[in-house]
Amino acid sequence: MRRLPLTVFSLIFFAFLYLPLAVIVGYSFNANPVNMLVWEGFTLDWYRGLFGLDRSFDPQSRTVYVESTPQMLAALRNSLIVAVSTTCIATVLGTTAALALNRYRFRGKALWSGGLMVPMMMPDIVLGIGLLIFFTSAGMRLSLLTIIIGQCTFLTSYVFIVVQARLAGLDPALEEASADLGASDWVTFRKVTLPQLAPGLLGGALLAFIISMDDLVITYFISGSGSQTLPIYIFGMIRRGVKPEINALATLIILASVLIAGLGLWLRARGDRK
Amino acid sequence: MTHRQRVQLFLLLTPVTVFLGVFFLIPLGTIAVYSLLTPGLYGGVEWSFYHWNYGRIFGWADGITEVFEPVYLHILLRSLGLAAATVAICLVLCYPVAFWVAGLAPRWRMLFLFLITLPFFASLIVRLYAWLLLLKPSGLLNTVLMGLGVITEPLDILYTPVAVILGMVYIFLPFMFLPLFASIDTLDRSLIEASGDLGARPVQTLLKVVLPMTVPGIVAGGVIVFIPAVGNFIVPDVLGGAKGLMTGNLIEQQFLSSRNWPFGSALAMVIMALVLGVLLVFSNRARRAGGRT
Repeated sequence: MRRLPLTVFSLIFFAFLYLPLAVIVGYSFNANPVNMLVWEGFTLDWYRGLFGLDRSFDPQSRTVYVESTPQMLAALRNSLIVAVSTTCIATVLGTTAALALNRYRFRGKALWSGGLMVPMMMPDIVLGIGLLIFFTSAGMRLSLLTIIIGQCTFLTSYVFIVVQARLAGLDPALEEASADLGASDWVTFRKVTLPQLAPGLLGGALLAFIISMDDLVITYFISGSGSQTLPIYIFGMIRRGVKPEINALATLIILASVLIAGLGLWLRARGDRK
Repeated sequence: MTHRQRVQLFLLLTPVTVFLGVFFLIPLGTIAVYSLLTPGLYGGVEWSFYHWNYGRIFGWADGITEVFEPVYLHILLRSLGLAAATVAICLVLCYPVAFWVAGLAPRWRMLFLFLITLPFFASLIVRLYAWLLLLKPSGLLNTVLMGLGVITEPLDILYTPVAVILGMVYIFLPFMFLPLFASIDTLDRSLIEASGDLGARPVQTLLKVVLPMTVPGIVAGGVIVFIPAVGNFIVPDVLGGAKGLMTGNLIEQQFLSSRNWPFGSALAMVIMALVLGVLLVFSNRARRAGGRT
């Protein structure tokens, strides 16, 4: 087998995957205020500017972003509110659906299991405008609430798939044994099913949280003027022009999402091995 | 099923059914309804049947209230072309790598699978922004290429369809990789050896043995990449410019700036029909191919 060319190609592939992220991290420390693509020296100014920590910042030579700190923090807060709420709701909805489809036999089951995947497969933009028309015709003002409702539709699909996969791998004999020993359905669920299901639940919830924090397209259509989330805030910043502060913010976001995702994937890998 | 089980099932299934019924099915239905309504004068709608929204896209506009502009059809075809190109490039890049990762020792396999999935979780908008920086005339790509003497003038890739394809390939690579890997991983490697022992050249083995057996993975990866690619509007918005405009951008404009919701809904219906068509055709084909091997 000619393995060497394949190995070289694959390593280049992985470099291609990580190069763009590395580039942002690198630029975020570049001191050049005129052209951030030309390296001038190391600085933490953009991070300071981001948090408004630099008191001696001179607005004449280095433009601080007008909408900088308070708006960014408001967007971050909105994102967290939305992500925590959607994670809770979607985890409950997705898990109940997975339990129903895994533990019971009923007519139209295939319809449900297929239908629960559709929100995930639907192109973002179609769902986004559908929700926009729906909320405005229903007379609902666009707010964090509309974002939470909108995101829960497709996040439920994701949780459903993760939990379903975990449920399918569980040994039904344990539940049967519990029932034979006289435990009620509820006790069996609490003491037998739920502990075994925990890694799946956690994995599904983490996935929902990350995807919610990152959702741009659907949120873009159903967020009102006062309910910007972080991705929308960054999207707006980029549309207005490239600023070095974006690099610093982007670096922090990469760091945070990689940490959360790393934790989730590690937990899952550990759960699989057990 | 006992009465108690029936009650349990009802309690488990009702919340999700009601929620998705109200906030997913009804919104999709309203798109269909809106696409057949008359656009009002100042961004509203009039509740009367109107098929010229579709006529404006496909060519039976009456020429008075609505005019057929071939540009919509062009943009639709361009979206299809860009999405197809994205699928093809993702496939060509991922296939050898999936093959390589599948042949690694379990420890390394875990590591590289982890490395594939990780960028998917690093914010989409941040990853696109990275390409905006890379492709700028004074960006890293041009600096390196000019430093190496490959080119003398900076390449003008940014704000072209090429930039859109690059961006979409980058963000959708993990979508293609994982189903491909799942398919290649279950491949019986002794068949490859057998093919070689029987005198087939590596290319023959690839085309006649390996590829046909991994068709389900190829189809699944292709569908999963094609669907978000064809209706995409963020990538063309950030990297595309006027020449890289896709149907997604057109829909966004109809809703947020031109305020012609019925026309935007008609465009969204076309995207939805395309996606459903692809799903129907290819999920059947994948099943058949899967059954054959």
